[in-house]
Amino acid sequence: MLFFSRWKTFFIIGLVALGIIFAAPNAMKPETRANLPGFMQKTINLGLDLQGGAHMLLEVDLSSVLQQALVNERTGILTELRDSNLRADTIRITNGIVVGKMRRAEDQAAALDIVRALSVPVDPSQIGSPKTTIVTPVGNDGFSVEITAAQIEFIRKRTIDQSIEVLRDRIDPSGTTEMTLVREGDDRILLQVPGAKNIDEIKAAINKTANLSFHLVHGDSNNERALRQAMETFDPVTGEARLASIGTRYFPNEDGAGGLIVEESTRITGECLENSSPGVDPDRGNPIVNFKFNFRCSRLFGEMTARNIGRPFAVVLDGQIITAPNIRSAITGGRGYIEGSFTPDSASELSRLLNAGALPAKLLIVEERTVSAELGEASIRAGQVASVIGLLGVAIFMWLSYGLRFGTIAVLALATNIALIAAALTILGATLTLPGIAGIILTIGMAVDANVLIFERIREETYNGRPPVNAIETGYRRSLAPILDANITTMIAAITLYFVGSGPVRGFAVTLAIGIVTSVFTAVVFARLLTATWLRGTRPKTLPI
Amino acid sequence: MRDISLVKFLPVEPRVPFVKLRIGAAVLSTIAVVFSLFLFLTNGLNYGIDFSGGVVTTVDFGQAPPSDVQGLVQEEFTGSTVQNISQPAGSAIMYDYLRISLPLQDEDLATEGETADADEIRQAQTDAQQIAQKELIDFLESRYETVRIDATETVSGKVSGELRRKGLLAVILALGFVLAYIWFRFEWQFGAGAVVALLHDVILTLGVFELFQIEFNLAIIAAILTIVGYSLNDTVIVYDRIRENLRKFKKMPLVDIINVSINDTLSRTILTSVTTLLALTALFILGGPGLRGFSFAMIWGVIVGTYSSIFVASPMLLMLNLKRGSRVDAPKDAESQTA
Repeated sequence: MLFFSRWKTFFIIGLVALGIIFAAPNAMKPETRANLPGFMQKTINLGLDLQGGAHMLLEVDLSSVLQQALVNERTGILTELRDSNLRADTIRITNGIVVGKMRRAEDQAAALDIVRALSVPVDPSQIGSPKTTIVTPVGNDGFSVEITAAQIEFIRKRTIDQSIEVLRDRIDPSGTTEMTLVREGDDRILLQVPGAKNIDEIKAAINKTANLSFHLVHGDSNNERALRQAMETFDPVTGEARLASIGTRYFPNEDGAGGLIVEESTRITGECLENSSPGVDPDRGNPIVNFKFNFRCSRLFGEMTARNIGRPFAVVLDGQIITAPNIRSAITGGRGYIEGSFTPDSASELSRLLNAGALPAKLLIVEERTVSAELGEASIRAGQVASVIGLLGVAIFMWLSYGLRFGTIAVLALATNIALIAAALTILGATLTLPGIAGIILTIGMAVDANVLIFERIREETYNGRPPVNAIETGYRRSLAPILDANITTMIAAITLYFVGSGPVRGFAVTLAIGIVTSVFTAVVFARLLTATWLRGTRPKTLPI
Repeated sequence: MRDISLVKFLPVEPRVPFVKLRIGAAVLSTIAVVFSLFLFLTNGLNYGIDFSGGVVTTVDFGQAPPSDVQGLVQEEFTGSTVQNISQPAGSAIMYDYLRISLPLQDEDLATEGETADADEIRQAQTDAQQIAQKELIDFLESRYETVRIDATETVSGKVSGELRRKGLLAVILALGFVLAYIWFRFEWQFGAGAVVALLHDVILTLGVFELFQIEFNLAIIAAILTIVGYSLNDTVIVYDRIRENLRKFKKMPLVDIINVSINDTLSRTILTSVTTLLALTALFILGGPGLRGFSFAMIWGVIVGTYSSIFVASPMLLMLNLKRGSRVDAPKDAESQTA
């Protein structure tokens, strides 16, 4: 156990040297580090709890998207039936299913054909892709349409992907921030922005879906009874109300007082926007939001306004009417402005959100953790002080316990261990969190265990009358099994913690696991090399242990 | 040159009759475990935001916090608690701030129906915790000019429930894996003995958190798992020596073998506990408030874990009637005999 071939010695020394080279930049000032070669520029990734920043877990409200998919399905069916001159008695959405009833029973077969034709493959590029809906006849005059699981999965994935894209555009339009934005689990998005100072802006970007649409106001808005009924039965959670006519929808006004009944279907939505900018009304001087439509929508909007001069249309943002002006003339250039109760700030915020596009679904912040850079820095300093004092305490204790020679071997092994942990964290790109620092300090205390085991064994073997070299040899060999057993069990705990834990606690599991591996190496291999070298140099008659 | 080493003051072959003390230890441990379980039912754990949900905001005033904050906040926000976290002047790192916690806010306002108006329902839907947090920050900022928000946390009821389940799962899984490993490496009696000792440690760690109502959060789960690792480490070292001595002294009664083995490894047990406690004490005193709960749990765990490997895990082998001549005795097993 005490013989090391030349290449083996070279390998061990080389590994330790590499560790020190990769660990060293972490201890340097940035100015000093800048002079080093490229591979030494890398330093340990600090977690958000140490460098400051925002961590948010967002839940995508898929139910509203699925509800919208049903509404679209119903609108499609309604239009197709009307175009084929088939009269439906009712088409309503109940429990996630569109249920229709034809006025005449003999229309059922024709209606079923039309509705079935609307069911298309989820992914047209794939052969044998499942259909979007399942259509089944109901009674002798009706039908029901259910969205398939494959389509729901498709919608789920698309919604989350789109949400991530929109959020990225909103929070980091220039693409310069180092932020993390990834899907987590079935319906969540993890957002991490390091060093975030503008938490309120980030939250505004998350909370506003910025779903914009232009609707013609329906004639029922002038019918006092229909309007009052809609207003009284309006459910702000589902957005539904009891309405007099099919194909209409009620939206409340932004200020909460009253609302209007509008035509439900529209082709002028937020997707039409080419860009928007905040501005000031030239006549009255109040803040407005200018917009410009893309080519296709400019034409659509031109046609719509030309056909409806004199009628009001409503601008709806996130389920609320922000303004409902009368159409004075056809708007053909695709340019216009929205005038609501804006402040200069809210006008520029709205135009920024509109430029990034609408979020396909509402996002809920289900978990939020933010730490200021100052607090993070204080945590790092506290961690540094605690590590240094802990290290000193353990070193002094080892010297006191095992004397100068074996004490020094243990302390050298310990110092190397710290360097190797730092190097491993640097190379692996692992994130160091506050609990991670605790893991390192804990390792400082526990890493000497392997050395203690070995030294105690050597001491015992010496006491049993073995000569020095033999005692050391036996001590190292007999300690190996218990050292491995003991460390593997701690490793099991660390691995379990990594897979079941979350966030900062994972950082702890990582440093603990790295610390276990490096401490076994430094105590069993590196310290053994040191001992062997010392033995060869001095050839002691008795052991100072 | 002569070395002075303290270890020399520890006898190389101590003969402390640990096993004789096992009855007393068993009584002590049983009382402690029963008391911890009793506390779990009466006091319960003081769940932190990770497991209970709610809002925690850490604020700094640049100097000592005004004395009226606590009263005003508690009056305005029902169920809130205000903790002053400070380090006495003259320490290496200075801090002095308030940690304000609000309990989990009702997320189901919408189901209350008619009484809530449309706006309120909309807000409840966006996020009750977020709104409470904003109200708290607005409240503080409108009253204190110097206030600075250092850290904010909100956890919804859904997420805290998940974290609770995951934490429990982590502890159960770790215990299960460890049992499997020990079983694989030793006889089943060793595995059972180790797990009883670990359960003992976990329950007593929970007990101290119940007794002092220290905040129980995710970091404490990490601490508990590390305690499991540490205590097992200790236990395995003793077991390993028992296994070795079983082979070495074929005639010696089991009681004596266990006692000799505990004594053989005693100086190692003490030394490792001391170094670990040294590092943890540094962390507890100097590591800042964020790690105080963790280091406290660990310090307690190291003490309990060391005790349990000597007084619980090893005597369990006697109780479980470890048979001699089984595979642990066989010389052909992993380690050879000769020096």
